[in-house]
Amino acid sequence: MTDRKRTATDEQTPKPDGGYASATDAELSRASDSGIWYRQLLVVAETEYRLAVRGRWAVALTAIFAAFALGLTTFSGSSVGPEGFERTVASLAVLAVYLVPLVALAFGYDAVVGREENGWLHALFALPVERAWIVVGTALGRAVVLASATVVGFGIAGGFLLWEFGLAGFDAYVTFLLASVGLGLVFLAVGVLVSTLAREKTHALGISLLVWAWFVLVHDLLGLGLVAAFDLSAGAVSAMLLANPTGIFRALVLGALGAAGDAGFATVLAESGLSTGVLVGALVAWIVVPIALAAFAIRRRRL
Amino acid sequence: MKITITDVHKRYGDVVALDGPSFEIPSGSTFGVLGTNGAGKTTLFELLVGHDRPDSGRIEVGGVDVERAGHRVRERVAFLPEHAGFPPAMTGREVLSVHARIRGIAAREERIDDALETVGLTDAADRAVSGYSNGMGRRLGLASALLAEPPVLVLDEPTAGLDPRGVATFHRIIERIDRETDATVVLSSHVLGEVERLCDSVAILEDGELRAVGSVDELRTAGDGRVTVAVRPSADRDRTRLLETAQRYGDVTETAGEIAVACERDAALELCAAFESDLVDRFEVREPGLEAAFHEALEREESEPENSPDEIAGATEVST
Repeated sequence: MTDRKRTATDEQTPKPDGGYASATDAELSRASDSGIWYRQLLVVAETEYRLAVRGRWAVALTAIFAAFALGLTTFSGSSVGPEGFERTVASLAVLAVYLVPLVALAFGYDAVVGREENGWLHALFALPVERAWIVVGTALGRAVVLASATVVGFGIAGGFLLWEFGLAGFDAYVTFLLASVGLGLVFLAVGVLVSTLAREKTHALGISLLVWAWFVLVHDLLGLGLVAAFDLSAGAVSAMLLANPTGIFRALVLGALGAAGDAGFATVLAESGLSTGVLVGALVAWIVVPIALAAFAIRRRRL
Repeated sequence: MKITITDVHKRYGDVVALDGPSFEIPSGSTFGVLGTNGAGKTTLFELLVGHDRPDSGRIEVGGVDVERAGHRVRERVAFLPEHAGFPPAMTGREVLSVHARIRGIAAREERIDDALETVGLTDAADRAVSGYSNGMGRRLGLASALLAEPPVLVLDEPTAGLDPRGVATFHRIIERIDRETDATVVLSSHVLGEVERLCDSVAILEDGELRAVGSVDELRTAGDGRVTVAVRPSADRDRTRLLETAQRYGDVTETAGEIAVACERDAALELCAAFESDLVDRFEVREPGLEAAFHEALEREESEPENSPDEIAGATEVST
């Protein structure tokens, strides 16, 4: 306490009004220790990562991905050879389209609103840090957990596949793995945005389920219906593809496998002519834009 | 560090949260902000710590405009929000470590130990927050605010929800901070006794307006020196008879089922004798104090005098 007193007085000069002369506006706007935003961002991210690991989210996510992927590869009954490998990875891609967004949304929907409900957001907002970095840091910390779980979970299944089918499919499987990570991050980002906009956790959960249903179930059917009913231009089909991250994911994976068959709307997508670069760029945009919107929205949030 | 609040207005839609309060909080003082629910206390604090911007008016902390400083104002204003909480899986020390790292505090461990010692959580520092009582959680929040060695400490309803023992502990900590540091402490509370005990000066807000401001002593003695006799009727049907009796002795007000009679001390004795005891469920004689000043301020419809620049200067003069 003695130190506290000394610090408080040494840095300030008494003024005639009984107050203390202190940092001016200009001095305050100078970069100070606590103003280093990237360090604050990393502290928030690291804390979020530790909390997710401690809360057993990391283990649970890895176990879910590994269990489903191993189950599918073990019981797929594909023949040995390149065709069998491609069919198994295509099946894994179909599994990932359903599973990864659901898991990512479940992991992300309470990132902000949940932290508000337990008071942690109030405590963080009381610190000299931009609210935007708190949201970005939270998303980053969870993203590391989700990405690691995806790589390890699907990686175990990949190890078995490569052991069975040989190294010829290594590149395709890495593409599948990276695209799955990207897909997970997209839905995590959407979950964080929903969490930032929702006033209650239950609302965030409900909206997240609707988001999942729209992108995973409805959008694809709607797209197929429109393609069947109207003579859509290639541009319109491309736009429909880019409007759904699961479509982008399937196009990336099927493109890497060189297969376009029996994958619903993705068959149409494979013929849309979009390059891998465009697809990857779109997936990155689907990650960045929701996080940016969440970072903007958090500034207006009243606790 | 002095805080100056000048004609601050803030609306949320149709709701006027703050309607032009102006006052100064002297450097190094412990200042209480009183008001009923929705009076504007929390809004004032949100503006003070840079969580929101006023529609008009200005708040300065140590000469720095809070609106211009943005989130950086919290480098000099440590804030303990009413609903602050911590992840249950973290230990108290880990929570403080996160806060210290975000604040960029050097010699972190030493400062954390110091803050934990100040709030009496040294022994519980390495236990998970999930095992903390409500009072310990509040003290951990205060420790996180103290980490910054702030020139200004803003505490929003710091003892809300604490049991009497927790409240007493918290009071002792705040008194220690007041005694041992130069920090300006600003706290809001519904508990008048708490403010009377801890604070040098007080501002009373109601409907976003400043109704009174000054030192606790000044407000306590500002009234007419009359005592208040408060009674609660045994049954609703007895109310009329009690009111008729009360009106013969002084000014009567009715709040939440209680009849309060402001009267001279001698009249109070006569009034006590006049009440038929079987009609009265509860009976209390209140000395003139902050509570009387508070109720008087709330009943006052017009508050222009408190908002005038002269009155602000007067309040500052009284407080320093």
